[in-house]
Order: sequence, then structure tokens, then C-alpha cells
Amino acid sequence: MKRTVTSSLLAAGMLFAGAAQADAVVGQAAPAFSGVDTAGKPVSLNQFKGKYVVLEWVNPECPFVKKHYDGGNMPGVQKYAAGKGVVWVTVNTSAESGDRNAKASAVSGWLKEKGAAPTVTVMDVGGAIGKAYGARTTPHMYLIDPSGKLVYAGAIDSKPTANPADIKGATNYVVQAIDESLAGKPLAQSVTKPYGCSVKYG
Amino acid sequence: MLAPFARLLLVFACALLSGWAGAAPSVETGHARASLLVHAPEGVKAGGTVWLGLRIEHQPHWHTYWRNPGDSGLPTTLAWTLPAGFNASEIAWPTPKQLPLGPLMNYGYDGDLLLPVRLTVPADYAGAPAPLKLRADFLICEEVCIPEFAELEILLPAAPQALHAPRFERAFAAMPREDAGARASARLEGGALLIDVAGLPAAWRGKTLQLFPENGAVLDHPAPLGQVWRGERLALRAPLSAQRSESPAAMDAVLTAEHAAPGIRVSFQIAGPWPQAGAPAPPDQAPSQSWLAVLAFTFLGGAILNLMPCVFPVLSLKVLGFAQHGGERRRIVAGGLAYTAGVILSFLLLAALLLVLRASGEQLGWGFQLQSPPFVAALALLFALIGLNLAGLFEFRHLLPDRIVNARARNPVADDFLTGVLAVAVASPCTAPFMGAALGAALSQPAPQALLVFAFLGAGMAAPYLAASLFPAFARILPRPGAWMARFKTFMAFPMFATVVWLLWVLGQQAGIDAAASLLGLLVAAAFALWVLGIPARSKTGRWTGIAIALIALGATAGWAWPALRGTPEPVGVAAEGGWQAWSPQAVQDARQAGRPVFVDFTAAWCVTCQYNKRTTLADPALLQDFRAKNVALLRADWTRRDATITQALKELGRSGVPVYAVYRNGAPQPMLLSELPSVDEVRQALAAP
Repeated sequence: MKRTVTSSLLAAGMLFAGAAQADAVVGQAAPAFSGVDTAGKPVSLNQFKGKYVVLEWVNPECPFVKKHYDGGNMPGVQKYAAGKGVVWVTVNTSAESGDRNAKASAVSGWLKEKGAAPTVTVMDVGGAIGKAYGARTTPHMYLIDPSGKLVYAGAIDSKPTANPADIKGATNYVVQAIDESLAGKPLAQSVTKPYGCSVKYG
Repeated sequence: MLAPFARLLLVFACALLSGWAGAAPSVETGHARASLLVHAPEGVKAGGTVWLGLRIEHQPHWHTYWRNPGDSGLPTTLAWTLPAGFNASEIAWPTPKQLPLGPLMNYGYDGDLLLPVRLTVPADYAGAPAPLKLRADFLICEEVCIPEFAELEILLPAAPQALHAPRFERAFAAMPREDAGARASARLEGGALLIDVAGLPAAWRGKTLQLFPENGAVLDHPAPLGQVWRGERLALRAPLSAQRSESPAAMDAVLTAEHAAPGIRVSFQIAGPWPQAGAPAPPDQAPSQSWLAVLAFTFLGGAILNLMPCVFPVLSLKVLGFAQHGGERRRIVAGGLAYTAGVILSFLLLAALLLVLRASGEQLGWGFQLQSPPFVAALALLFALIGLNLAGLFEFRHLLPDRIVNARARNPVADDFLTGVLAVAVASPCTAPFMGAALGAALSQPAPQALLVFAFLGAGMAAPYLAASLFPAFARILPRPGAWMARFKTFMAFPMFATVVWLLWVLGQQAGIDAAASLLGLLVAAAFALWVLGIPARSKTGRWTGIAIALIALGATAGWAWPALRGTPEPVGVAAEGGWQAWSPQAVQDARQAGRPVFVDFTAAWCVTCQYNKRTTLADPALLQDFRAKNVALLRADWTRRDATITQALKELGRSGVPVYAVYRNGAPQPMLLSELPSVDEVRQALAAP
């Protein structure tokens, strides 16, 4: 009987090793998540298995997000990614309180106005997805490979300012990560320090 | 005297001169006033230095950032246009303050800030006024962030300037001290940076310290800073960020004691290989000492669980079991082991289930089973039926076909195993004292450790029975079977009914009085059905009639009762209850911003410890008086029904069960957590602490 207990303990341990850690680490499996999109339909990371997935944290009121959207930079990267068969998930984290429908329509309306082209927009009300990924800023970018491993986490580009004029001279880390991953090369920059406004958890 | 034309020329020249000289030493940027100040008490001398300063007067509640802004934000940057030969140094940053924002941490300033900059004067300075231009860019935030800038100009005269001397003196005094004699070294271990500091002021010993790293790409800013004083040396433990993007060989940081400026700046080399960026940080190796303590406490907690009212009735079944089989040593040992196995495996199953659900993103906590009204109803039904059985309304023997009855008797070991499972199902919400912290910590550990803790909990709970079954001396203490058994059996029905009353109350809280009445109706129907089925049938028709009546009665009542059991009433209003307001993260923030201390009671109707505290400690008049006097905001977070916000808040506090009592004091960014059975003194002390 003791053996049964020990072996079941071991089996359970081996089965769940690592599954309990919720903080995303580059090089490890990206945390699973499930949520709803702006239309209220369920979305989960599992449904994109087998594809590259970009996660982008967005907040229409943040000047750093506006820097990349007003001039069409972020929509451009989204279209580039779509052309390469990469799934783009835009995430908006907000506090638990407030009218969910109003928030969802505000975000989707703003994205449409800016010509954004994500595959899906997830409303992370309460911040569970943000906390699982350690999302700190808007924008905060992640790239997940087809096997579910997190391969990039960090900033959108190399110039941490709110000045749109800095986009031209900056290296876009997401484009670089997508290109290098698709070419099978190891990433030059797999983790960078993200910049932006803080994610609004509360 | 002067020809009119010449006078005009003079006026023009003056205007031109003043325009050139005094464009804007101070501007409103939107949410702050930025000014360029000069501090040159001895005048400007060739080859010397003078101080310049950017003064930012923030609007209330707005803040700007330090050189390392923390998890988000941008530091203030200065771009100078100076005459040839003049050089401006980097900003001499005053000691920053922590600006926590939910689960994130930033470092910066608010109020009236002065950022001093040292200006070196060229050796060939001849005394002419020097025009200095500054473009200052800063990110200023409240709820939203706005990048603001100021274009400032002054003309630096050679004469001494000491108009702003007091302001500059204050800024210098607020700068982190570098000559304090503090020496530090650091090494990497277990996913954290261990910093050893010697030479800190004696006054700092025993105080809570804060660490401000100047490199923002390495550490986990919001994570608690571990600190242990060993005599006059301080050992700090700063966890690394899970998404660290740099691996420097040395770092600088500012230390403050209890958030007071000025802090002390230390530099340290970092020894030890950096964990591979992308390689998993080794799981937090809590020192084995405290891990053993956790396991020991868990074992003890498990043993004490046997005394909880939810478990006690089930325990009574066990006692009966021992009494009935008194004498058959092998049977008793087998039974004891089977019970232990049932208990431990059930705990492991529960823990595994929680871990799986947690991994898939569900927000759950300990005790979640009792948050579901159908579960509570089912449990109440089961206990009521067991109680009726003990009281003699019916016997299982008469209900089941002979085959099954005999099979049960032949496999009493399996029966004991199932008793163990039942005991766990019922015990889980009764988080005994010193259980809540252990379970919260356990669920946040890697899976093998978490399962180990739960296994120990099960072991502790089953220990008394195992002991009784293994050591005949114990069993011998139990009296021989006799007439007293029938009476004891009936007596044990009453704790069962008492538990049903409690479950009924919980159900009423969760789903309203209608649900409670429906459940009672169901109980009546079930009891009736069982009685009918228990009537000895004289013929087959009779038997089937009995079954039909029972099923009809049950079915009809269930159909009537089900909607009420599933329905959710309006959320229970706590507002009017003796000054307690409903908890929400916003309410906490509002109260803290208003400068009020906050006392949060995380409670649930099905948590017996919570109800006990509510009626004793939290109802104490002296304590209530204290609350009123200190204008404490009393918030109650009711977790009787599933609530993802509360579950998340509990997780952030490192707990996964209730009760949790959190005290937020002014000036302390992290709340203080009290014990599960706090005494009035403990609460008053927590409030009174500075």
C-alpha cells in the first residue's frame, strides 16, 4: 500500500512538474490561457497550436501605444506577421470593475479606426492573462513558437520613447524575432526590457 | 534729450535684449511646472563648477520617474545646449520613492522635485553671461501617462546666485549618501541575487529596508525583498525577474530604511554564473529548516482536523467501526491502513485537481468545493441520511439486495477506504489554525512539493486512527461491544444533524432562503422514501410498489427543489452590517488614498473559523472602538460563492483559503496579515504599529 502511495505521488509529480509555475519564462512553455474576445466568443491559446503566435498588450489611452498606432507602425507589423502565417493576439487588460461590453466595444472600435489587423482581440478583465505572462507595460510583446514555447518577450522596438519620429531608426524586435524564428536561426535578442505605460490591473 | 527716433531705437534694443535673455526659465508643461534654477553661491569662476537644477512641481497625484523607472514608465531626460566649454553632468538623482501600482512597482517622485545637475565652467571663462538652454523630457503619470517636455532658457550671470539655496540644500540632503562606509558584494543563487552589505548605520538594524536597483533589467521589482540581519551585516535576497534581459557583472543600488530619504548608495560585483536566459530559474529552494516546519505544522493541522465539526461526525463512524470489530487485530490494522490510504489519496487527488485547474488558468482556492450550492446541498442530504440511519429510521441492510449487503460486509477494508475519502471531502473547508498559510504556500510551490504538503496533511488526519489500529493498547482502551453501542450510535446522529444545520445555513447564504427550504423539502422526501423502502415487503408487487412510491416522492420533490438550488440570489449585501463595507480593490485604493488604514476580512459562510472570529474578536467592543477612533475602513470580502477577484486577491497575499485578515497601514505599501484566530490584542497591535 505504501508503494502505491509513493508511486502515485511520483507519477503525479512527474505529470505536473512545471505546470504550477504561472510566470512566463522565455525558453519554457508559454502559459496556457483562455478568455473572451471583443465579440464575447471564447479564445484560448490551445486553438493556435502549431502556429507562431504574437501577443501584444494594448491600451488605447497610452501615449506609447499611440506612438505605434497613429502612424500605422503596429498595424503594419500585424499585416507583415499575417503574411507570414503568424497569429496575432492583441490583449487588453483591465480591472475587474466596469462595463465589460463598453470596454470591449471601445477597444475594438479604436483598433478598427487605426486600421489594426490582429487575428483576435482578447479582453483580459481582471488581469489573469497579464499576470500569467508578467505583462508590465503597454505595449509588451511576446512570440510563441508552434510547439508552444515562449521565444521572445519584451519591447516592440529598440528606442524606448513616446516620439513617433524614433520608430524609423529603431530595430523592431518583433519583426526580427519572427524573421529569425522562421529562418530557424537562434534569436539575437530573446528578452528585452519592455517600455510603455503600466498595464492597468486595478 | 534724446531724439524721438533714438528713443525708439533704445526701446527696441531693450526689448530685443530682454527677449534674448529671458525666454523662459519656467513653463507649465500640462501637469507640472518646470523651472530651471541656478545655485552659484560663490559666483561663476573659470575652471569651477556651479549647480543647475530642474525643478518639477507636480500636480497632486501625478508623478515622474527615477533613473530606473521600475516596471514601466521612462526616466526624465535632459538635453542641454551650452556655450562652448561648458559641460553639464548627469542628473544627481535624489532618493526615489516606491510607487506601487497593483502587481507592478515603479520608482519615482511626486510633489515639488529638484533634480540637480553640476555644470563645469571652462578655464577660459571671461565673465560674460552664458546662455543656457535645456530641453527636459519626462513622462508624468497619474492614471494615464503623458509625455511632457519643457524648453527652458536662462542667462547665467557671473555674479553669485543663492536665491534658491534652501531648495538646493534640501535636494543635496535628499541625495543617496555614498560615503556612508557601506560595502557590498553579491552572488547569484536559486533565481535570486544575494547581496551582502556591511557598514550600514547602526540605526538601520532591525528596520525594514527597500532596495532600488539602478539597472532596471535584472530584478523582479515588486517581489518582496528578503532581509536578514546577522549582527552588523545585512543579507538581502532580491529575486531575479522571470524575463531578465541583462546579466551585468556589477550593479549599483540605493537602500532606504523604512522609506526615509536620504538612502545609501552601494555598488557591488556579482559573482556566480547567471542562470541561462531562457533556462528555468531553479525552483525556490526554501531553506530546509522552514520546509520541515511547514510539513510538521501541516501534519499537526491534519491531526487537529479530526476535531472540526465538519469532520467529527464522520469520525464517529470510524469509532463505531473500531468498536464493532474490536478484537480482530488483522482486520483493525487493515482497516486503519485502508482509512489512511483513503485520506491521503483523496488529499492528493484534490491537490492534483487544484494544480491542474490552476495551470489551465482557473482562479481557484482552497475550499472551493463548498462554494457550489449543489455540492453543499448534496453533502447536506448525505449527512442527513447518515444521521437518520444512525438514529434508526432505516438500516442499509434492509434497503439493498442481499448480495450487496454481504459484499459490503466481505469488504470492510474498502468501506474504510471510502470513509477516508468522505472524511476528506468534508474536512477541506475547515482550514484549521495555521493551515491557511501552509496551503497557500503549498499551492504556489512546484507540483511535487505541493503534493507532499497535502500528503502530510492527510497523514496527520489519519494518524490517530492508524495509531489506534496499529497499537492494540489503544484499541484495548475501547470498551467491548455491548448494549451501549446502540445508544452510542443514536447519539452520533446528533453531531450529524448539527452539521446539516450548518450546511443549511451556508446554502441559505449562497442561494437564499428558498434554496434552504427546497433542501429541507428534499430531506423530507428522501427520509420518507427510505422509510418506505425499508418496510419489509411481503411480496414482489409490494416491493415494487414501495420502490415506485419512493421514486415518485423523490422525483417530484427534486423537480420542485432544483431551480431554487441552482438559482443565485442578489449578492448578499454587507453594507449595513455594523460599518462593514463590501470589499473591492477599488475600495481599498480609495480608502488608502484618503489616508485611512484599512482592515480587510476575507470570510465565507462555510468557514467555521471565520464565523467564530466574526462573533468573538471582531465583535469585541474595545476593538470596534479602536476602529472608530482610527477611522479604519472596514471591508469584508465574502467568498461564500465563487469570486475570481477575491481568489486573485488571496493569491496575491500568498494564501488560498479563508480566513485572511489584512491590515493596510499608512506608509506601508504591503499589508500585514494576521493569524487565523487573531486575538483582540493582536489586531489592536497591528493597527497601532507605526
